[in-house]
Amino acid sequence: MGTDKQEAVKSLFTAQSAKVDTNRGDTYYEKLYDQCRARLDALKKLAPINNRRDFRTVIEEEGLERRDFLKWASATTAMLMLPASFTPLVAEAAMVMNRVPVVWIELQDCAGNSEALLRSDGPKIDEIILDIISLEFHETLMAPSGHQAEKQLEEAIEHFKGKYLLFVEGSIPRGLNGAFGTIGAKAETFIDHLTRLSKDAAAVVAVGSCATFGGIPAAAPNPTDAVGVMDVVKGKPIINIPACPANPSNMVGVLLHYVLTGQVPELDSLLRPKFAFGYRIHDNCERRAHFDAGEYVEEWGDEGAKNNFCLYKVGCKGPMTFNNCSIIRYNEGVNWPVGVGRGCIGCSEPDFWDKYAYERPMANANIKAPTGGVEKTVDEFGLGLLTAAGVGIAIHAAASAVAGKKESEREEA
Amino acid sequence: MKSTAYKKVERMTPAMRTIHWINAISMIVAVATGLYIAAPYYQTLIAEPAVDKYVMAWNRWGHFIVAIIFDVTSIVVAYLYFFSRFEKPYKKVLPTGKNIKEFFAVLINLLTLNRSKSFDSSHSDSFNTVYFTIFHLLLAWMLFTGLQLYVHGLESGLSSIGSWWPAMLHLVTDWTIPVSAWMVGSGPVPSIMDVRISHHITMWLIVVWVVFHIYYQVWRTIFWQEGDIAIAFGGSKFVKEDKEA
Ligand code: HEM
Ligand code: SF4
Ligand code: SF4
Repeated sequence: MGTDKQEAVKSLFTAQSAKVDTNRGDTYYEKLYDQCRARLDALKKLAPINNRRDFRTVIEEEGLERRDFLKWASATTAMLMLPASFTPLVAEAAMVMNRVPVVWIELQDCAGNSEALLRSDGPKIDEIILDIISLEFHETLMAPSGHQAEKQLEEAIEHFKGKYLLFVEGSIPRGLNGAFGTIGAKAETFIDHLTRLSKDAAAVVAVGSCATFGGIPAAAPNPTDAVGVMDVVKGKPIINIPACPANPSNMVGVLLHYVLTGQVPELDSLLRPKFAFGYRIHDNCERRAHFDAGEYVEEWGDEGAKNNFCLYKVGCKGPMTFNNCSIIRYNEGVNWPVGVGRGCIGCSEPDFWDKYAYERPMANANIKAPTGGVEKTVDEFGLGLLTAAGVGIAIHAAASAVAGKKESEREEA
Repeated sequence: MKSTAYKKVERMTPAMRTIHWINAISMIVAVATGLYIAAPYYQTLIAEPAVDKYVMAWNRWGHFIVAIIFDVTSIVVAYLYFFSRFEKPYKKVLPTGKNIKEFFAVLINLLTLNRSKSFDSSHSDSFNTVYFTIFHLLLAWMLFTGLQLYVHGLESGLSSIGSWWPAMLHLVTDWTIPVSAWMVGSGPVPSIMDVRISHHITMWLIVVWVVFHIYYQVWRTIFWQEGDIAIAFGGSKFVKEDKEA
């Protein structure tokens, strides 16, 4: 066991519950308010970086009204678990987002998180913010490529040394000395790339399940020995925003929290912000009453499905998944997976592809034997054990009946 | 056949027998409700108003009630292991030369179908005590993993009896996450699902344990002819006078 693993175990022993103290008293919040105020004033004095667009202009162009914006600001204040008096600050923070430098790199990934924030039909406020943040570097989104792009990256990390937020999308392959993934003309491995860029970052934000816990590339048999950011980067504040894809609202939440307070939000033992991952899907699910009643969808499209029964028996992993999609939902609260009638696949939990995403209850799903060999369901494995024990007992019983010696017979012999 | 005098030896006190049967009944309830929680196997599409068919909720309630009973009996049994004034089981599981010798003597007795029997069967023997210890370890594992699964529902950090309760459960059971992940085989980061898989598999190990336990006690009764099965009911068995050490 390496020291990292030991650290991980130690942190598990001392894990905080998801609870966030939402009432720390007036003195605490007054102080925080002043801090945020000062920080925002300082940011306002700076010019937007690289001619980034003005928030107000974009909002107008998209045809959104001020009312929408204020609604968004109060909802986001609540999501961040701040008192309502912080709403104007949150609104102001949104406007100065174009002053905070962000470098976004993609490693072993599908660009799904970038897609999530780009492809929404008619960008909503969360997406607009992600659009105007000062993205200094984003391979997929930026116009330059090749040497030009590399130059831009080098300039950005030099210019914003110690100030930029490093967003990472995708897992890091460690196999073959990292040769599974390289970037740029000099074929820098993903590990070296990440290590180098994280060195001068203010904080590293791992976005999506691959960057946080290895995700799908790390699924069995994990051919590239993929891991998440926290297994590579040491000695930097790391914020994990898992899910596949991460909810744009949670990305904005983390960014806003940082812009506003200059601090990392409160994290759980897996380094996930508690304001987003302090909720269990199952406890905030609209189908929960059907779960307790024992009313389940048995197969897709049956009577239960038509009546919005609970999706547990078709594999919903809401009971084992921490995320806020059952509360804030996706696409500006339009809907979420369980709402549209398919179960949660636990996409924000470690190892979700192997352990959660099989659309059957865990007891009926194929799980690898610890030896890595045959796949059997947990119950098949158990019944196999029981049968073996039964056969052994039957043989012993039969042998005892035929050749065994009872005490009285033994005495006579 | 010469007639022999039998002597009665007390083996289980009333308290121990009470615990034994509470455990047996709790185990049946835990397995029946646990399997329902794992994959609800009855009554899904029956139209009934909610009050009558709070089916999953009742199953979970039953599961947690027996869990609490197990919690309490486990603490009592752990205490008795070391401090019982009757027989202190821990003395029989220590790997001393005497215990190891007895352990194998009993094993050989089982394997030779009672053709060889070279140990004192009046007292609780080393083999059975080790076997029971395995059971208590499996049960302890169920307790810790079960309480870990339980604390997931207290994610607010609050509970009706105060915030110390979830905090304590985290402190006492969070270690089962990496341990389960190690046993089940996991990706780079241990997941809470590993705990659930382990909780379920351990149930099967306990079921196998119970099956052999019952068989073995019946087998002893038939072949040793000392009335072992009565220990769990009346508290005593009978051994030949000349044999009693
Ligand atoms: C030794 C007897 C026990 C047996 C045989 C047993 C069996 C089971 C089984 C088979 C499951 C279903 C797991 C799955 O989803 O596949 C389960 C779930 C569970 N068990 Fe146990 N269990 C035992 C003791 C305990 C104890 C002592 C606790 C402590 C509180 C506990 C708490 C739980 C919880 C919280 C769940 C998950 C239920 C849910 O989320 O609704 N169990 N158990
Ligand atoms: S659909 Fe999933 S999250 Fe919702 S109640 Fe059922 S099991 Fe829980
Ligand atoms: S419902 Fe579950 S699988 Fe779907 S996005 Fe939310 S956490 Fe991921």
